[in-house]
Amino acid sequence: ADHKYVEFDFLINGQFLRVPLVTHIEMENISTEEVVEIEYVEKYMAPQPEECIFHDDWISSVQATEEWILTGCYDQTARIWSLEGKPVMTVAGHTEVVKDVAWVKQDSLSCLLLSASMDQTVLLWEWNVEKNKVKALHCCRGHAGSVDSIAVDCTRTKFCSGSWDKMLKIWSAVPTDEEDEMEEAANRPRKKQKTEQLGLTRTPLATLSGHTEAVSSVLWSDAEEICSASWDHTIKLWDAETGDLKSTLTGNKVFNSVSYSPLCRRLASGSTDRHIRLWDPRSKDGSLVLLSLTSHTGWVTSVKWSPTHEHQLISGSLDNIVKLWDTRSCKAPLYDLAAHEDKVLCVDWTEAGLLLSGGADNKLYCYRYPATASDVGA
Amino acid sequence: QDIRNTVGNIPMEWYQDFPHIGYNLDGKKIYKPIRTKDELDMFLEKMENPDYWRTVQDKMTGADIKLTDEQVDLVHRLQKGQFGDVHFDPYEPAVDFFTHEVMIHPVTNRPADKRSFIPSLIEKEKVRARGSAVMAGEKHLEGGSCWARGTWQDRGGGAWVSRGPDPRPLRPQKLAWEQQEPAERKLNFVPQQYRCLRAVPAYSRFIHERFERCLDLYLCPRQRKMRVNVDPEDLIPKLPKPRDLQPFPTTQALVYRGHGSLVRCLSVSPSGQWLVSGSDDCTVRFWEVCTARCMKTLPVGGVVKSVAWNPNPTICLVAICVEQSVLLVNPCLGDKLLYGATDQLLESYVAPEEERVQPVQWVTATTEEHSRGVRLVVQHSKAVKQVTWHGKGDYFASVVSDNSNMQVLIHQSSKRWSQNPFRKSKGLVQCVLFHPIRPYFFVATQRYVRVYNLLKQELTKKLMTNCKWVSSMAIHPGGDNIICGSYDSKLAWFDLDLSTRPYQLLRHHKKALRSVAFHRHYPLFASGSDDGTVIVCHGMVYNDLLQNPLLVPVKVLKGHVLTLDLGVLDVLFHPTQPWVFSSGADGTVRLYT
Repeated sequence: ADHKYVEFDFLINGQFLRVPLVTHIEMENISTEEVVEIEYVEKYMAPQPEECIFHDDWISSVQATEEWILTGCYDQTARIWSLEGKPVMTVAGHTEVVKDVAWVKQDSLSCLLLSASMDQTVLLWEWNVEKNKVKALHCCRGHAGSVDSIAVDCTRTKFCSGSWDKMLKIWSAVPTDEEDEMEEAANRPRKKQKTEQLGLTRTPLATLSGHTEAVSSVLWSDAEEICSASWDHTIKLWDAETGDLKSTLTGNKVFNSVSYSPLCRRLASGSTDRHIRLWDPRSKDGSLVLLSLTSHTGWVTSVKWSPTHEHQLISGSLDNIVKLWDTRSCKAPLYDLAAHEDKVLCVDWTEAGLLLSGGADNKLYCYRYPATASDVGA
Repeated sequence: QDIRNTVGNIPMEWYQDFPHIGYNLDGKKIYKPIRTKDELDMFLEKMENPDYWRTVQDKMTGADIKLTDEQVDLVHRLQKGQFGDVHFDPYEPAVDFFTHEVMIHPVTNRPADKRSFIPSLIEKEKVRARGSAVMAGEKHLEGGSCWARGTWQDRGGGAWVSRGPDPRPLRPQKLAWEQQEPAERKLNFVPQQYRCLRAVPAYSRFIHERFERCLDLYLCPRQRKMRVNVDPEDLIPKLPKPRDLQPFPTTQALVYRGHGSLVRCLSVSPSGQWLVSGSDDCTVRFWEVCTARCMKTLPVGGVVKSVAWNPNPTICLVAICVEQSVLLVNPCLGDKLLYGATDQLLESYVAPEEERVQPVQWVTATTEEHSRGVRLVVQHSKAVKQVTWHGKGDYFASVVSDNSNMQVLIHQSSKRWSQNPFRKSKGLVQCVLFHPIRPYFFVATQRYVRVYNLLKQELTKKLMTNCKWVSSMAIHPGGDNIICGSYDSKLAWFDLDLSTRPYQLLRHHKKALRSVAFHRHYPLFASGSDDGTVIVCHGMVYNDLLQNPLLVPVKVLKGHVLTLDLGVLDVLFHPTQPWVFSSGADGTVRLYT
């Protein structure tokens, strides 16, 4: 026989069919007089667990690329791992807990990466892949509180950081020439030895103020647009060039994390209640929640959209579960990944179809999820 | 008898062969009518005579008689089975002879039998039969009747003692009798059993009853008890629903685990990022609020009774009460510049030239202690119970568990100067508090709260809590309302502008209240008690002086495990978010959001 068994999933009007057809039609008030179109898609298979990487302390953040996984840990280091789970490099240098990490650039020779920490600095590192050596290029000082979140823009020349001092700062991510800096630096008396080892001090290009409470999460939604979520229950959109506030989305609860998907142009936010909310960043100054996904039983600490599929996202929460959602089925997630034994602090989704989640049980779990192309035509 | 024919009651067939059919009164023969009716004639008659159907032959006279209409009608009625007489109405209303209505006079005038006045003879027979069966032992009665127990008890030797009535049914009566209204009671006394008739005492209400009878006799008007028919639903105040009073903490979000023993005290940094907790396992832990991460553990070598984070956001100091000293610790968390500046501030202190007499000793920390974070140690002579900061962050007050006049001390950290404000002790001081805005100082003893004016240095007010033992106190950020929690599970809300007595006493908890707290921005207050719950209430204070504060209990937060009969030991609100922290005897600190 040449056939194989394939499972299908059905959609009516963009909503997944999860209950018997009659119940669904009654609930959605679809008239039975009209023709009801049922779309069928191949059922999304469950993510297959691949790796479990053990760390020494809580994992605060994770970002993965095609070849490497970068994690930030509460033991004041950031670590680089291969996709098979082998430790490659330990990036130590911070004097406090590392709260967020990000890749800036990758070549086959060297990579640039960032780590933000509770010691109020962001360090720009250069990692030489061949020699497997890491060096701190710049130490970005300027924040007056723990830096909780960083995001690199699409041109990979700038990055933005949000911190407990209620400010957002934009910095340059391009490593400047050492010689120029070194000459200047030689003229100034060196106060602390540590700045030498940690690279040269860098000051921010711009500071965006407007939040009345700590900023918990930042991202670049466009080439010159920054989106920041804060403890003052608002999500603000800024113009990176001028530094002006463009619009504000107001909610009821502290926002823990936001994620933007250019495919569906929606923002997903995780808050200190159990819901994940979808917002339209283009709406003018409102508090209009488009969709609310409820299934977690604790705070949602992190959310991430799929880079390939416009309807899928994952969320991690304090109830130890990572959930994979499809926004077309808003009543229940597609899959629950309950592998963690303690709070889930960070999640990530790579283009290649790898799901990662790190938590307070010191473990980083990787899942393989076949990247299905989105249904929207090219 | 047909008078036209005198033939009598004989069968008419006898005259069949004769031409006549009887004799009339004159004795002449009555001849049959001349007709020879043969079959053809009879058939023709049947067909043609219209009156055929109503002609009959009279047997006596032999003639054909045509029936009249009334007669035909009569025949028809009889055939239907109705009554013959036209004028008879079978449907007339019946006239009762024996009517259902009660009339004045009886139907019969028969007098009542004697047996209606005399005990029933039939029953007497039955009882006799049953009784003799019981006495003979053939039949046993059900329990509960005095017959079952037997009325007489054999004492032996021919002596019989009466058992008396069964005392059991009388016992529940007393409570019901007491609860009834005096006017409703059937008896003015509770029937009581006595050993014998000699032991029955004189009736205590005798004179009272005689007096009431005299009043009745001269028709004395008695005061009527006005019974107010109040619907109990009206008495319940109409409070808004908790749903309308959001936001307030509803569920447990995080548990901060790490302490080994009960956590006695909590304090939060003014930014809301860090939480400090002190416990009976002789350590103080610093936590990151949003992740429940224990950032630092500070072993202090003694049971920690109280911690207080300096409310001034530019100074990074925590005051910790350990046994007989108060440690001022720089936790080195948060902005490096700030805690560096705090250290510089402390180091820049210049001792004054003259030695001042101080009730306590200010000691700079040793290098070893300095490395852990301790900056100053204030040595008291007895164990310190509580420490609290003034709003500006310079002065702080400590309470010593002593009963002398040196219970409360006020210290100034910048000048390292302490003083004892009170000359006389007014009782065991439970806790003290600074007013957030004005220069008032609140001292809570076991039953009263005294308000002192620090500038004028005199007592302003004495608040009477109606509680036996005050455990904790908190002041509204506006400065005009205080709540006191007490060990007899009452929470008293005082409106200082209204009166010295509590505005409301809230009895929501089942067991002793250990701690109370107000929120800085939201109109919420919380109380934690030994029953393991934290009750969050909405307490809206209006700017309008005429409107009283609105207190609505909004949520009961459960989560702590009862350990050693103790529940929640300290309650604290987050400075900016509508969240509440509670520390318990189970060694955990919980965050509710």
